[in-house]
Amino acid sequence: MGLERSRRLLVLYGSQTGTAQDAADRVGREAVRRGCPSVDVLSVDEFDARLLPSEDVVIFVVSTTGQGDMPDSMKEFWKFLLQKNISDQWLEHVHYAVFGLGDSAYQKYNFAAKKLDRRLLNIGGKPLVQKGLGDDQHRSGYEGAFDLWLSSLWNALHEKDPMLLPRSIDNLDASTQCLDSPKFEVIFHSINEMVATGTSTLSDLNCAKNLIGKVRSMSLGKSHYKRPQYLLQLITNQQLIKSDADADVRHLEFESSSSDLRYQVGDVLEVLPAQDPDAVEAFIRRANLDPDCYITVRPKVIGKHHDSSADMSTPPVKLRTFVELAMDVASASPRRYFFEVMSFFASAEHEKEKLQYFASPEGRDDLFQYNQKERRTVLEVLEDFPSVQLPFEWLVQLAPPLRTRAFSISSSPLAHPDQVHLTVKALTWTTPFKRKRSGLCSNWLAGVVPRKGVPIPAWIHGGCLAAPPPSEPLILVGPGTGCAPFRGFVEERAAQKAEGAAVAPILFFFGCRNQEKDFLYRDFWVSHAQDGGVLAAGSGGGFFAAFSRDQVHKVYVQHKMKEERKRVWRLLSGGAAVYIAGSSAKMPADVVTALEEIVAEEAGLDSEAAGRWLRRQRAGGIFIEAWS
Amino acid sequence: MKQSALLLTDSDFVPVGAALSAIRGFQDLGEDDLLVITRALQLTGQLPFEPASLSVIVFASKSLELPGEQWFEDVIRVLKPGERSSYRLFSSSRSWRQDIYAFLQPSSALERKLLFAGFLEVHLIDMKSVLQPEDTTLLLTMKAKKASWVVGSSFSLKKRVLPKIQIEDELDLIDEDSLLTEEDLKKPELPPVGDCEVGSTRKACKNCTCGRAEEEQKVQKLALTSELLDNPKSACGSCGLGDAFRCGTCPYRGLPPFQLGKREVLLSQYLKKKCRLPSVQVSLSGSFLAADI
Repeated sequence: MGLERSRRLLVLYGSQTGTAQDAADRVGREAVRRGCPSVDVLSVDEFDARLLPSEDVVIFVVSTTGQGDMPDSMKEFWKFLLQKNISDQWLEHVHYAVFGLGDSAYQKYNFAAKKLDRRLLNIGGKPLVQKGLGDDQHRSGYEGAFDLWLSSLWNALHEKDPMLLPRSIDNLDASTQCLDSPKFEVIFHSINEMVATGTSTLSDLNCAKNLIGKVRSMSLGKSHYKRPQYLLQLITNQQLIKSDADADVRHLEFESSSSDLRYQVGDVLEVLPAQDPDAVEAFIRRANLDPDCYITVRPKVIGKHHDSSADMSTPPVKLRTFVELAMDVASASPRRYFFEVMSFFASAEHEKEKLQYFASPEGRDDLFQYNQKERRTVLEVLEDFPSVQLPFEWLVQLAPPLRTRAFSISSSPLAHPDQVHLTVKALTWTTPFKRKRSGLCSNWLAGVVPRKGVPIPAWIHGGCLAAPPPSEPLILVGPGTGCAPFRGFVEERAAQKAEGAAVAPILFFFGCRNQEKDFLYRDFWVSHAQDGGVLAAGSGGGFFAAFSRDQVHKVYVQHKMKEERKRVWRLLSGGAAVYIAGSSAKMPADVVTALEEIVAEEAGLDSEAAGRWLRRQRAGGIFIEAWS
Repeated sequence: MKQSALLLTDSDFVPVGAALSAIRGFQDLGEDDLLVITRALQLTGQLPFEPASLSVIVFASKSLELPGEQWFEDVIRVLKPGERSSYRLFSSSRSWRQDIYAFLQPSSALERKLLFAGFLEVHLIDMKSVLQPEDTTLLLTMKAKKASWVVGSSFSLKKRVLPKIQIEDELDLIDEDSLLTEEDLKKPELPPVGDCEVGSTRKACKNCTCGRAEEEQKVQKLALTSELLDNPKSACGSCGLGDAFRCGTCPYRGLPPFQLGKREVLLSQYLKKKCRLPSVQVSLSGSFLAADI
C-alpha cells in the first residue's frame, strides 16, 4: 500500500536581511528551468516542521546571524528540530541539502548551516550533496560557493530522481533563455476613479499608520514591518562629539504622537527611514511614469482566479507614496537577478551584452566588484544602463525592499516617561572605487530638525539585552555607541534607587578613541559615579573608560577590565549578569575572553574550566547585542 | 473500578482487530475493557456513561468535518480526570498529502475545540503506521488530556522568579553545540584577500588603447588630471559609459557616466550634494550590506 508522497521540490530559507531569500529564489528558478514539475520556496516560519517527513526533497538555505545564531525567523523551527524525542529515523524518506550564508571573519562561521546539516543527518535525513558554505569574505561573496554547490546539487538530484529534475544542465546560452514572469502585477488607475479623500492627511494618526501598513503590505512579505506601532516626533537632536572628530554621533529624543510609548530598557527601536524625495522622483521619471498616478500592487496568483475582494480593502495609492514607503531606490544594492532581467529589456547592444555577462558565472566576480562592493544603488544602476526600460512590475519585484533599521534604546521609561532616546552614529565610508557612501537611516535621522518634518514610523521590540531586576549586580561593557542601552540601564536603576528600592551596584566599562573628542555622555556617567550614585566605586560598582588613542599603545575596554580584575571578580562571584553591546564584530569575543582570564586567575581555574563556569553561571548570564 | 476504553467511530462497522489496534498504545487494557460505538456522530443526547468513568477514548473519523463543541464537552465529561483522549483521522483518498493541507486548517480548529472543551496538552502526533484496511491511511492523530485536578481543588503559589532569557529550562532539547565537530570549531581560514583596488579580474575593453591589454600583469593606474576632468576624452570610448563598462585602470573609475567633451549634471548628483561629512577611510569588507550576520 503506497502512501502517496508529495512530488515536489521544497526550498526552505532562513533569512535575516533577505539575502538567503534571494538565494532560495534562485534555487527555485533554476529548478523550474531544469524541468522540475513542482517547486515551492518558503520561509521556514511559513512551514510546519511537523510535516517534514512527508516531503520528498527539501533544500535549506540558511544564514548565520548575530553571534553564530539562527535567523529570527528560524528559531521556532530549530527548537522543534532539537527535541530529544525525535527518532533517528524520523526523516528516513526525506532527501535534503543545506547551503549556508556566513562570514569567515567570524569565529562562529556558518554555525547555523553546520548545525542544521548535522541535525538533519542525525534524525534520518538523506543528504543529496555535502553542505555548501557561502562566505562574504570571498571575492564574489556567497555566490562564489553557491554556483558550484548548485551544479553539484542539480547533478545529484537528477541522478536520484529524474522525474523531479529532468535536466541537470541548464541551457546556459543566454540568447535562448526566456524571461520568467514577474511575481507582481501593477494596476494603474485613472484619475476619474479616485475620490478626493483617497489621500490621507497625516493629522489623522491611525489613518496614517493604516496607509503605511497597507502600502507596505502590497509587496512586502512576512518578515517586514508594515503597519507602524508608533508615529514618532523628534524633539531633540544633539550632536554628542566635537565636530573635528571624524564621526558624527547624535543624541536623539522622540515622543510618540499618541502618547502611548511602552518599552523596557534594553529594547530595540525599529525605524523606517524616509528617502530623499529627489531620488524617488528621479527613479520614477527614469521608469517613465507619473509620480502622481494611482496604482495598486498585488502578487500575481498563477493558476487560480484572483480574489477580487482583496482589491476593495486596499485602496489605490499614489505611485510616489508606494515607492517612498516600499522600494529602496538610493541605498541598498540590487542582486544578480536584477541584472539578468535587465538584459531582456536593454535596447543597446553593448548594454545587453554587459548585463548578460554580469548575470553569468564568468561575470560574477566583476559584478561583485561593480555592484555589491560599491554599494551600487538601483538608481545608479539604471543610470549606468540608460537604454534599459524595465516595466514597473519588474522594478517592484527586483528593487530591494525598504527596510527598517534597528537601534538600541538609550533611555529608561522611568526617567523619561513618554519619551524614547537613541544614540545614533551617522555612518559614512568610502568604497573601493573611492566613492563616498553614507548610511541612509543614520544620516537622515542626523538631519531631521526637531519638531518639524513628518512623523517617523517606528516599532519597539525586545532585543538581546533582557531588562535586569534592580537587585541584580551588573557588569556592563559598552564602547562607543555600545554605551547607548546602558545609559538606559543606569537611568533606570538611579530612578529605582530614588524611589527607595534596594539596588545592586553597576560596574560599567566604556571605551572610545579620545577623552576630549568622542567621550559620549561624559557628564552623565561621571555624575552617576559620584558617591551614592549607581556607578559609585564605593558601593562595589564603578565607571572606567578606556581611551584607545590617547597614548601610544592601544587601550581597550578589555584592558581596563583586567586592570580592575578584583572588582570584576567580586561582582561575578556575587552573581552579576554581564551585558556587552557595541558595533564591533570582534569586541564581544575579546571581552568574554578577558572575563575568562579574570575568572581563571581569581578563582584558580584553568581556562577551560573558567569558560565553563562563566557560561553556566545561572544567576547572572551573559547578554550580547552586537551590530554592524 | 475496572478500567475501560471507548472507541467511537463514524463508520457503520469496524472489525474487532482494527478496533483493538486503534486503542493500542494505551497501557493495561485488555479485550474486555473495550467498548465500541459506531455511527457515533449520530448519537443524540449524551454519551451513555457515568461522568469520569472511562480511561481512554479514541475517536476514529473518516470525515474531515468536525463534531460540535457539545460533543467534545460530553467526551470530557465521561473521561476520568488525568486520562487521555485521542482523535484520529483516517482518509480514504489517495492523495492524502493534499488532504492534510486541507485538514491543517481544521486541525487548528480541532485544537481550539479541544481546548475550549477543557482538554489540556493538546498536541498533534505524526504517525506513519497504518491501522485501517488498505484503501485508507491514517492522516493525523491529536491527543489531549483531561486535567488531573477537579473543580474545587487547590494548591499553593510558589514565589515567582523573574524570567530570564538565558536560562535553559528546556531540558528536553538536545545541546545544539554538540552538533559541531572539531573541524567546524576550528578558526575559519579567510580566503585570499580580495582586491579592493584594481581588480585583476577586470577585463580590458575590446578595443583597449589605454595599455591594459598588453599589461595584464602589472597594475598601472592612470592618473586623473584636472585636464582630463574638464575635457573628458576616451580612446576606447568606454570611459564615459560608467563604471560598469570601464576597465580596471580607467582614470574615471568611481565617477558617474558622462558625455565625451562636456560634463553633465547627472541623476545621481544629489548623492554628492547630500554627503556633507568628511570621508572616513574605513576598511570594510564587501559584506557591509549583505552580511546576514
